Amino acid sequence: MQLADPVEMGTSSNSGTPATAAADVSKLQPLLSLRGMSKRFGSLQALSDVSVEIATGEIHCLLGENGAGKSTLCNLIFGVYKPDDGSMQFGGQDYRPAGPAAALTQGIAMVHQHFSLVPDLSVVDNLLLGQARGILKRAECAQRVRQLSEHYGLALDPFARIRDLSVGERQRVEIVKCLMREPRLLVLDEPTAVLLPAEIEGLLTVCQRVAAQGCGVVLVTHKLAEIKKVAHRVTVLRGGRVVATSNKPANEIDLLVRAMIQRDLAGLDASASAMFGELAEEADAGSAATTEKIDDEIVQINGLTVRDAEGVARLDNFTLIVNRGEIVGIAGVEGNGQSELAAVLSGMLTASDGRFFVASKNMTNRSPQEITATGVGVVPEDRHAVACVTGMSLAENLFLNRLDDFRHWGLLDRTALRDKARALMQEFDVRAAGPDIAFSSLSGGNQQKAVLGRELTTQGLVFLLAAQPTRGLDVGAVEAVYGQIRKACERGVGVLLISSELDELISIADRIVVLYRGRIMGHCVAHASERERIGAMMAGHVE
Amino acid sequence: MTTMAINLWQQARLQTAIWISLAAVLFAILVGLVLVASMGVPLTDAISAFAEGAWGSPYAIAASVNRALALGLVGVGFVLANRANLTNVGGEGQIALGGIAATAMSLYGGASHLPGPLPFIVPMIAAALAGGAWGGIAGVLKAKVGTNEVISTLLMSFIAVWLVYWCVQSESLLRQPMHNTATLPESLEIPEVTKIPLLTGDYSMPLHWGLPIALVLAVIVAIVLDKTVFGLRLRAVGLNPVAARRAGIAIVPSILLVLFLAGALGGLAGAFMLQGDQYSLKARFSSGYGFDGLVVGLLARGSVPGVIASALLFGFLRSGGINMELAAGIPSAIVMVIQGVIIVTLAGAAFWMERKRSGK
Repeated sequence: MQLADPVEMGTSSNSGTPATAAADVSKLQPLLSLRGMSKRFGSLQALSDVSVEIATGEIHCLLGENGAGKSTLCNLIFGVYKPDDGSMQFGGQDYRPAGPAAALTQGIAMVHQHFSLVPDLSVVDNLLLGQARGILKRAECAQRVRQLSEHYGLALDPFARIRDLSVGERQRVEIVKCLMREPRLLVLDEPTAVLLPAEIEGLLTVCQRVAAQGCGVVLVTHKLAEIKKVAHRVTVLRGGRVVATSNKPANEIDLLVRAMIQRDLAGLDASASAMFGELAEEADAGSAATTEKIDDEIVQINGLTVRDAEGVARLDNFTLIVNRGEIVGIAGVEGNGQSELAAVLSGMLTASDGRFFVASKNMTNRSPQEITATGVGVVPEDRHAVACVTGMSLAENLFLNRLDDFRHWGLLDRTALRDKARALMQEFDVRAAGPDIAFSSLSGGNQQKAVLGRELTTQGLVFLLAAQPTRGLDVGAVEAVYGQIRKACERGVGVLLISSELDELISIADRIVVLYRGRIMGHCVAHASERERIGAMMAGHVE
Repeated sequence: MTTMAINLWQQARLQTAIWISLAAVLFAILVGLVLVASMGVPLTDAISAFAEGAWGSPYAIAASVNRALALGLVGVGFVLANRANLTNVGGEGQIALGGIAATAMSLYGGASHLPGPLPFIVPMIAAALAGGAWGGIAGVLKAKVGTNEVISTLLMSFIAVWLVYWCVQSESLLRQPMHNTATLPESLEIPEVTKIPLLTGDYSMPLHWGLPIALVLAVIVAIVLDKTVFGLRLRAVGLNPVAARRAGIAIVPSILLVLFLAGALGGLAGAFMLQGDQYSLKARFSSGYGFDGLVVGLLARGSVPGVIASALLFGFLRSGGINMELAAGIPSAIVMVIQGVIIVTLAGAAFWMERKRSGK
């Protein structure tokens, strides 16, 4: 491990024996070398003087918090951006991709965080889009998909429409799309964020097999468990610079974390450290009081059912009670009815059947406005699409659902809006230059804190619905978000927390309900000892 | 200009946008002069004919301003709807409907028998309501079945333009009584009391009360858009309708209202043209004011003062162009070319700025 000294990388001898990094990385052939790469966007220096080397057959992890420059680096490799400075060598030759197409031709494939699939086309048609000429050979392509699916354990129906697939499944399509090109270097930008534990295992296996065939793999992640498992080498980025590299990452996890967040993992909130896949032993401390929080029902959900246009039940006979001061976690792989549940409870989607009550009032199929008025706060899953208007200012977003409070002689009282916004920013630790700053200029963590602040200060709050509230946030923000949710809970607010991060749920929730294909598979106490059981239910195994 | 270019253009910084607008206008005028020169007309002749027609006399100035009035009202309506991310390209049809309604109300609706200023105000209100209804239909289509308002407002414009033809061709509608085969297919002249009174009372400078009315309306729209909760909500609806809905903002009424209001402003423009300028409904009543008004709205980049500036620019351009045709024999279509060049230049500049910004 060399802190802030990337140039010497690869020269140190491999004295330790990392659990899985079988190959001696110093003997591997360099495949891609980056030297002194810099990239600036406007006033933001996204990357400065970054040098990284990736070898054939190596799984090279890029570790770093949000905004550290991992995605930018990947995009430079894939030719999406042009570097301001620095040079790249790929397979021993100068590599200056004119764009992603050039990168693909040279054998570099990338799975982006945001997918580029046409929702109305089938899996096969999407795969053929970029490559086919003349007559479409669908059957042949489907056969290839099945081969790859089987080989790598990426279950996929070649003729399913993308529109009908979950986020996790869509990602599998993207991965298959890359693998079909038989790349020499595969770049995966935070691929595990949307996957279920078993699927993550599967994906890591895919990475290992791909690497075993001599292909280089760049894996962007912030999960230490994954690094422990598969990484041969790790490069840690912070603020656009390489702050640490390691040739034996499995033995140096603590050092890597310190380099990444400038703090020790031991000092972190249990649920925040769970985000790195490091589950603390006493993580279930929060669930100790479970049994005492009964008989104070705040939300009753009774047989809630949502059918899609084809009549398929996306949420099937969902029944649940949430008590005051309790956090109920909804576990499950994405696309198993969580989105529908959240959408119905927040008034954005019509239930086909069933009812739900908030504080004994029937709120089924009421408007979002009425639901908010009953004291329901909602942190939507998709922050940019549902929670905020990124083109408006921070203050405007903080009070988007109660702008009428700022009506003064028919005009909008900007001064009051600003003052109230400052108070809320202070209370919820939203870090921004000021209330008038564009919402889009805030980091993901601060955006989420702002949304949470708005929803938690809903008039007469009795129930908080939070869907994937920590997705894409850095560790500090995760801590803040969970701290606020706990605080609300202590005030007697009932919380329904939807998350695909099982470890997070275990550490913060009181009890957990598992969703699979829209149905409740079972109820569990949130305890680390239940992890295996929950994992099995998430994969559809009935007890 | 494509929707994408519109969006890019609207996001540009104000100062940059002003400079680019000025540069685009100058460049377009230069192109116009080159075309004039290539037709073999001496430039001095063309320029003096243009100046004479645009601002050469009190009458010319008033005519230019009156043209700007109609363009400005349509432009303000465009800006209003655009705040909710709705692109109203139906100004032409809304003007036509306004003209029909104002004519009908003035000639046969009994407006002339009303007391005080009502004889000219009531037809104006009728025109606004008719234009509003025409815009509102597009709103209903958008809100209920999701029809793109660009398509619906545009196609409704063609319907409206032909409705004018029908009205002036058919004696049972608005055509003046036919005495012989030479009777023109147009309506009777509207009664004196229904004409919008002149500010000066002197036909050598025919500025009428429409000017202050339009200015007041523009100020009201500017305040509503920028200073009220309603304006902020419209912006939220425009930028992210899903998030706006989650935040409890009623989307459907917003769409309906805003397209109605945009249409009403177009209808009012029709009333101004009829009651303040033409005084009788003719087949080619609007002749492109609605479409030019749309361009005015685009050029203004969502700002009401911008609408006023660009409406005046286009008003003077049109007047000058017409006189160039009359006095110097240069087709007034050259003005259309200049307008087109302005738009293309702006769209190009917006794309260029975006490319520079995204660092590709």
